[in-house]
Amino acid sequence: MGEHDTDTQKDKYVTFRSGEEYFGLKIEYVNEIIVFQDITEVPECEDYVKGLINLRGKIIPVIDVRLRFGQEPFEYTDRTCIIVIHVRSTVVGLIVEKIAEVVEIPEECILKSPTIGHEEQGQESYVYAIGKVGDSVKLLLDPDRLINDEDLSAQEQTDEEMEEGE
Amino acid sequence: MAEEFNTEGMLDMYLLENGQLLERLQEIVLEQKDEECFDEDSINEIFRTMHTIKGSSGVMMFDEITAVAHKLEDVFFYLRESHPQNVPHLELVEHVLAVSDFITGEMDKIENGDPADGKAGDLIAEIDSFLNGIKKKNGAKDKDVKENVHEEPKQFYIAPMATSDSHFYKIYLTYTPGIQLANVHAYKTVYTLKEIAEDLIYSPEDIISNEDAADDILENGFKILLQTQSSEEELRALMPTGYELSKVEIYECTAKEYQQGFDSIGSEIRIDLDSSVEEIEARAGGAAASPKEEKKAPMAPGDFVIASKEPGKAKKLAKDKQKKSEKASFISVDVAKMDMLMDLIGELVISESVVLQNPDLKVPGLKLDNFNKAAAQMSKISTDLQNVIMSMRMVPLTNTFQKMNRIVFDASRKLGKDIEFEMIGDATEVDKNIIEHISDPLMHLVRNSVDHGIETKEEREAAGKKEKGKVTLSAKTESGKVWIGVTDNGRGLERDKILAKARRQGLLDYNRPDSSYTDKEVYQFITLPGFSTNEQVTEFSGRGVGMDVVVSNLQSIGGSLEIESTPGQGSTMSLKIPLTLAIIDGIVMEVGSSSFVIETGAVKEFVNVGEDMMVRKPNGEEFVMIRGEAYPVLRIGEWYHLRDYKKDVNEGMMVIVEVEKKNFCLFVDRLIGKQEIVVKPIPGYIRKVKGLSGCTQLGDGSIALILDAAALLE
Repeated sequence: MGEHDTDTQKDKYVTFRSGEEYFGLKIEYVNEIIVFQDITEVPECEDYVKGLINLRGKIIPVIDVRLRFGQEPFEYTDRTCIIVIHVRSTVVGLIVEKIAEVVEIPEECILKSPTIGHEEQGQESYVYAIGKVGDSVKLLLDPDRLINDEDLSAQEQTDEEMEEGE
Repeated sequence: MAEEFNTEGMLDMYLLENGQLLERLQEIVLEQKDEECFDEDSINEIFRTMHTIKGSSGVMMFDEITAVAHKLEDVFFYLRESHPQNVPHLELVEHVLAVSDFITGEMDKIENGDPADGKAGDLIAEIDSFLNGIKKKNGAKDKDVKENVHEEPKQFYIAPMATSDSHFYKIYLTYTPGIQLANVHAYKTVYTLKEIAEDLIYSPEDIISNEDAADDILENGFKILLQTQSSEEELRALMPTGYELSKVEIYECTAKEYQQGFDSIGSEIRIDLDSSVEEIEARAGGAAASPKEEKKAPMAPGDFVIASKEPGKAKKLAKDKQKKSEKASFISVDVAKMDMLMDLIGELVISESVVLQNPDLKVPGLKLDNFNKAAAQMSKISTDLQNVIMSMRMVPLTNTFQKMNRIVFDASRKLGKDIEFEMIGDATEVDKNIIEHISDPLMHLVRNSVDHGIETKEEREAAGKKEKGKVTLSAKTESGKVWIGVTDNGRGLERDKILAKARRQGLLDYNRPDSSYTDKEVYQFITLPGFSTNEQVTEFSGRGVGMDVVVSNLQSIGGSLEIESTPGQGSTMSLKIPLTLAIIDGIVMEVGSSSFVIETGAVKEFVNVGEDMMVRKPNGEEFVMIRGEAYPVLRIGEWYHLRDYKKDVNEGMMVIVEVEKKNFCLFVDRLIGKQEIVVKPIPGYIRKVKGLSGCTQLGDGSIALILDAAALLE
């Protein structure tokens, strides 16, 4: 059964749009996708940590992916979604502008994230690879780095590099 | 046979019971470690404990445990029978602790599903030489104790048992060859005889657990030694008469022959556990808690076992012969089930507030008299329910403290320091979950005290300290928190050393002179990762991991660490931890769009104030004058940089809060009400925010943040 599960989940990615780019997250990290709900702010947090939500009695933190990427904030609407992911034992909600679809990206279509110059910074980035789906490109996210990495400036820089690279 | 015993259940029972026994054992040993020798009650109890462990481990076929327990039992048997003089008490204590450690270690392995593969040979040899040592010293006086350990048990229960009316019999049963399950038949006979027996020994001993016993019985016959008040005729009447038996031989014999046992010295075991006269009636009633009996006890599914052996506490009462009435009044429950119950009750409390504060009830003109009555009744019940579950989860700190006693003992022996250990308030009760979290931090602190805090004898003498080194563990409850203090009368923290080290590690502000750091600030440095002022790394501490782990462990349960120290006189580390993690009584307040909760216990009163009551210092600090007293004001909205909060004091509400004898005012927008809240931790992902100790779900499903008044004050 377990093998079967991983088999069907293999190479599947949940993709969403943030800013101009499409991002992909391995489906095995995703618990569920919920509609936007009221967020309780927690004071003195980083700006991208929007606060806490009550997910059926469990209290989980939510972060705004756009702010996390250092992009401009956006207005939350009824259509805004929260992707609930788990990385090891941490459960976190990601606020994203728009959920796109679940796509299959076979391994041969995944390229190592290209970097300009600073090899090290590229490796630190939470975009660990690029997936090709037909003509479009998805930036594949390492959720661990996405939620845990402290070093923001390096990542912002890398993001810019990514955009330039496109 | 296999269906008859659920080994799973047996194993759990085995681990549970022996765990309790070992705990109690440690307690006894540590209680008396500073005495000249063990008193008689303790010797008996240690003896019984070892005997029980030996019996049950034998049944479970943990041979090494059985062997070790047997060896220690021998020692205590000797102590009890021969009352030898000049027993090196400390050495004995160490042996007992070593055995207890070994068995605990093996049981941990068993519990984790690993094979109990520890080898006890060295340990046994050590104890053996110890026993021989004291025997030699006292040898001349004790001619009645023989060297052969197998014979000792026989010796041991004659004295109390042989009343003038007792008869002794040797019974040989021969079974029809080829009969199935001869061991079960044999057991049936033993069981019948137990009714009339004062004492009973049989061979082979492991008739139930050992599948080969059946063959053995068929081949060699089944031998029983019986001491009873009954006559031979009565005995014959009890003997089975079925086709399975081919021969029954009963010989009456003298007490002396009886002691010598079967001609072929085998592996007979005693049925009785306790040999004292008081226990005879129990044994006659077949109620003796023998290993065989345990096997017969119905086994509940693994996690829900009835503690037929009284747990540690009740053991004390055994001395007062209240043993029987205490039985079965305890039941052990899987903690996971308790947690589930706790969660459910938490949900119930939330849904209760959802019902009682339902917006539908706010329609004007509704007649709610009956509803309110019913609601009040329901609230009362749910409060009671909470109290009950909370009290179920509360356990005294005694066990945890006892463990520390052990650590002090071990460490002080190894470090060659003579250290006294004192416990104050160990009966203080704390939530079980919290106890789990403080055990490790406490251990670190105690070790630190012993290792770094207390000086060596020479150092103490040089410093002119007359009294012994002493570590005191104390516990008390105050304003919904538990304070646990680890105090030593050692050298205290060296401010200069810490500062120098902090300077080296670049932790200090270069523009700030050392003298401007308060003691409290300085002592906080030792809680940073990688900070140890001890130059020497010892087995116990000095690696610089420890204090930071202590602090982070405490923070994870909403606790904190306070350090006080007087150079040359010792230091005190105080752990401040919440009494419970679960449900508290809180006042819900609103600031801007956020809700906050503060523990009701901390709130003194609510006051509406006017602008004329406010006093402002030029540096921005605010005070409010209420009935002639000035209280500092903390505006929650400003403090947390919230949006849309009320700025005019006329519009909001002042909440006077008292923490640790200090008063201050919180300024909030409005009060929502009093509510029982289920405390949930703020997810670890979010950085710890000063003054917040957790969060909770309110009646409408929204989330409120719990304010920790004490932390706000800092």
